[in-house]
Amino acid sequence: MRHLRAALARVAGFLAGPREDDDVQEELEAHLEMETAENIRRGMPPAEARREALLASGGMTQAAEAVREQRALPVLSALTMDLRYAVRALRLSPAFTAVVVLALALGIGANTAVFSVARGVLLKPLPHEDGERLLYLRQSTEATGANDISFSVPEVRDFREGVPSLAGIAEYSPWSMVLQGEDVAVRIQAALVTGNYFEVMGLRPVLGRLTGAHDDGPAAQRVMVLTYDYWMSHFGGDPGVIGTDLRLDGQPVTVIGVVQSAPFYPEPIDVLLNMVNSDHHLSATMIEGRTHRMTRVVGRLAPGATLAQARSQIEALYAVMQVNHPEAYDAAAHPQVAAIPFQELMGERARLTLWLLLGAAGFVLLISVASVANLTLMRGVRRQHELVVRAALGAGVARLRRLLLIENLVLTVLGAMVGMGVAIGGLRLLVSFMERYSPRANEISLDAPVLGFMVVLSAFVALLLSHLVALPREGTFAAHIVEGGHRLGGNPGRHRLQRALVVVQIATSVVLLSGAGLLTRTMLRLSEVDTGLATEEVLTLQVPLLTPAELMFDPAADVRAKQRYEEMRQEMASLPGVIEVGVGSPGPLRRSTVRFDVKAESRPMAVGEVMPNAELRTASPEFFRAAGIPLVSGRGFAATDRQDSEMVVVINQTLADRLFQDEDPIGRRIAWTGDVLRFTPISGDWRTVVGVTATTRDGGLDVGPEPVVFVPFAQFLALGGSLVIRADSNVAALVPAATRIVRRIAPTAPIERVQTIAQIKDQSVSPRRVNAALVSAFGILAVIIAAVGIAGVLAFSVSARTGEIGIRMSLGADPRRIQRMVLREGGVLLISGLALGVAGAMIAAQVIEGLLFGVLPHDPATFIVVTLVMAVVGVTACWVPALRAARVDPAITIRTA
Amino acid sequence: MGDRQDVLPGTLALMILRTLDVMGPLHGYGIARRIEETSGDRISLNYGTLYPALLKLEQEGCVKPRWGASENNRRAKFYSLTPAGQKRLVRATREWHETAELIAAFLAPKQEAL
Repeated sequence: MRHLRAALARVAGFLAGPREDDDVQEELEAHLEMETAENIRRGMPPAEARREALLASGGMTQAAEAVREQRALPVLSALTMDLRYAVRALRLSPAFTAVVVLALALGIGANTAVFSVARGVLLKPLPHEDGERLLYLRQSTEATGANDISFSVPEVRDFREGVPSLAGIAEYSPWSMVLQGEDVAVRIQAALVTGNYFEVMGLRPVLGRLTGAHDDGPAAQRVMVLTYDYWMSHFGGDPGVIGTDLRLDGQPVTVIGVVQSAPFYPEPIDVLLNMVNSDHHLSATMIEGRTHRMTRVVGRLAPGATLAQARSQIEALYAVMQVNHPEAYDAAAHPQVAAIPFQELMGERARLTLWLLLGAAGFVLLISVASVANLTLMRGVRRQHELVVRAALGAGVARLRRLLLIENLVLTVLGAMVGMGVAIGGLRLLVSFMERYSPRANEISLDAPVLGFMVVLSAFVALLLSHLVALPREGTFAAHIVEGGHRLGGNPGRHRLQRALVVVQIATSVVLLSGAGLLTRTMLRLSEVDTGLATEEVLTLQVPLLTPAELMFDPAADVRAKQRYEEMRQEMASLPGVIEVGVGSPGPLRRSTVRFDVKAESRPMAVGEVMPNAELRTASPEFFRAAGIPLVSGRGFAATDRQDSEMVVVINQTLADRLFQDEDPIGRRIAWTGDVLRFTPISGDWRTVVGVTATTRDGGLDVGPEPVVFVPFAQFLALGGSLVIRADSNVAALVPAATRIVRRIAPTAPIERVQTIAQIKDQSVSPRRVNAALVSAFGILAVIIAAVGIAGVLAFSVSARTGEIGIRMSLGADPRRIQRMVLREGGVLLISGLALGVAGAMIAAQVIEGLLFGVLPHDPATFIVVTLVMAVVGVTACWVPALRAARVDPAITIRTA
Repeated sequence: MGDRQDVLPGTLALMILRTLDVMGPLHGYGIARRIEETSGDRISLNYGTLYPALLKLEQEGCVKPRWGASENNRRAKFYSLTPAGQKRLVRATREWHETAELIAAFLAPKQEAL
């Protein structure tokens, strides 16, 4: 109570401000007079009496100050005073303030943006309930390079029974479907899920209900759950959608709920369906076929179980499965199952890129703090006289330190505020960039923890900066004042620190520039990659006419679809400027998802040799010419290769090399093989090789070549057909005409992936371009800051040594010699920085090796060019202060020194 | 003058309260003189020690200042004890006695402790 009252009184005193000072003065004065009077009464002469009284008082000013401190909140009033002083001081040097705020804004802004990305993609807990206990199971065969194979229903059944550490196992299989509206059809990404999917994933409904156990099995109703994003984007968040019936692949399905916003793996999903929505998923082949691997698997750790337990149980069980079913696992391919925490999975592809960004942003912060530190140091030296005088007048070193801290806090707060703008701008760019790498990109935001990070970062920078300026020790003020301003510039310790900072700046610039160089070369190398196609004036559009069920089990629909494709092909071929139109699946440079093992007739497999797994593609006779896929030997397809004629194939060079090595493949026979064929209408009959094409870069310019088998479009199922249009020029202009033709012939078919070859090619180059552009921007920034840094430190050193230079010149040193002296000073810094930077860049390059393509991490050309560029920039930066030093007039400097 | 000591921290408030209790309303000079005399000139009070302490007591509501005329007709600030100050004095005195007894018991000659 008493303390509260005192505290309130002091706050009131603080708010009232310095008002009652006269009161204090008067009271103290009265005390002094009474004491003087007493002394006189005791017989002292008046002058001595007053002197004695003053001595006994212990200092009138100090006493008044002590009372004032007691009256209000001295710390707070001092702080406001310091703040006012700091703002005034900064306003007096606007150039310094602007440069520092800008440098800090870039450093803090870049780091905040990158941190928020790292948080959203890697660190933030999953929105799923107990998301850290979710596991994704991944089957892979190391030897064939297949790294994310799905599971079959019998395999999942084994896991359900044999892994007690997993409390629940759910299946989902991504499935592309066509949603028919009144007059248009759109393709949507669906996932067929088991009833327990949402429970295992820990997801809750936003609206309606989610699936449960009663939604499993063939007797269940066809139901659909919308993802939150799809509900918002396609139904405008309308709650009335619950209970409505939609048509999916021609079948009615009821919308039962909307699930909370959450990331899906590996692709974003629009809707989730129960298994009954796909006849295929309930068919005997799917339920009983151990090699019919179509489903992805997630599991939830049982309470108390650990990841290690689950992993060892899975491993043991998988070994047993391989022993019990040797026909389903090719031991030579080294099959294995990994249990990956779902959270880790989300950041899997983004991790390396994020490290690059974190590294680059960290370096930018380092360099901006180094340059600000240097500016502060120089300013500190100029202000040292002022600080010493203030200390001697009673400010106290601690108080001065606080003043400096407040000044730097003001600077960093300003920097952080501008940096916020940098972060917001940069974040928008980064989010769209990250969408390629992580399903969680939409969770990136500038939320409270990110802002907290920014505040901590800013405070840390301010603290660091305020301890750079040397303050005199208590008790040495007099010596400093006598020394005066002249010799203060010559403090060797400070100089060493300044130089070290310049070396750091140069080194950091070299690291960033090297990174930028390597990434730019990667991008250039990638865009130079030969796609293997003869032309780029090719437009492709994918028009799937059949649902997966129709495709596989409805021969009549297949015949009708082929007729319609032929109609489209002929109409497009008659468009002006069109040279050739072909039909096939998938389009050129796309990756085919249909792959089977391939064997060659009368060629036994060597022991331990892995069966080639080739993409199955279809092509009409015109396809190769239209797509520009060169024939290496033999012939392409002809109109005579029909359903009832001899079964023929064209293979690509990669497969020819794998299967036949040096022998001529033409006339040899190959066939699909493997247990999985049992579940498809695809036959394992022998087919004669009639031609070999060049290998094209399908699925990305940086991806290795894959074996491919082409079959005639007429001799195979009408897999989601692509129309390939080759024109003499400006093929992109044909898009409206081609779309009109498709619309007329197949009004409800979706039209997808309308892209020219150049655009497809650019898809694999553009992420690298963003990488290169980001790091180059950081690098250029760093070089500018470093150049200003060198010039600044040398200029400062020159001005501190003006007197010395004047003396040297009057003793006969010529200006050239002086110039060399300054250049040498800068040269030492430059060379140390370059050496350190190249070493650092070598290490950094190893870290980002995975992002490079066609360039070695220690690419000599890049390092030489970067070093040269930095050297030229550095020498230029040294030149200006060196020239100034050479122009020093000894007559003037010696007089003023 | 060098052997004069500063007041023990925390004891000055008690001395001021006791002085005002015994002497009635008094100005700063009077309080200082009285404390110095009572201590047999073993204590010397700086203005910088005394006046902040008085202000603190005022802020805590233990004393109340009022401007008045001193004995030689000079304007001076007189401090008087408030009821809250009275209460605090009683409590502080008791606490001080207890502490003193305790310390005395600890520092008693060795033979008696045996």
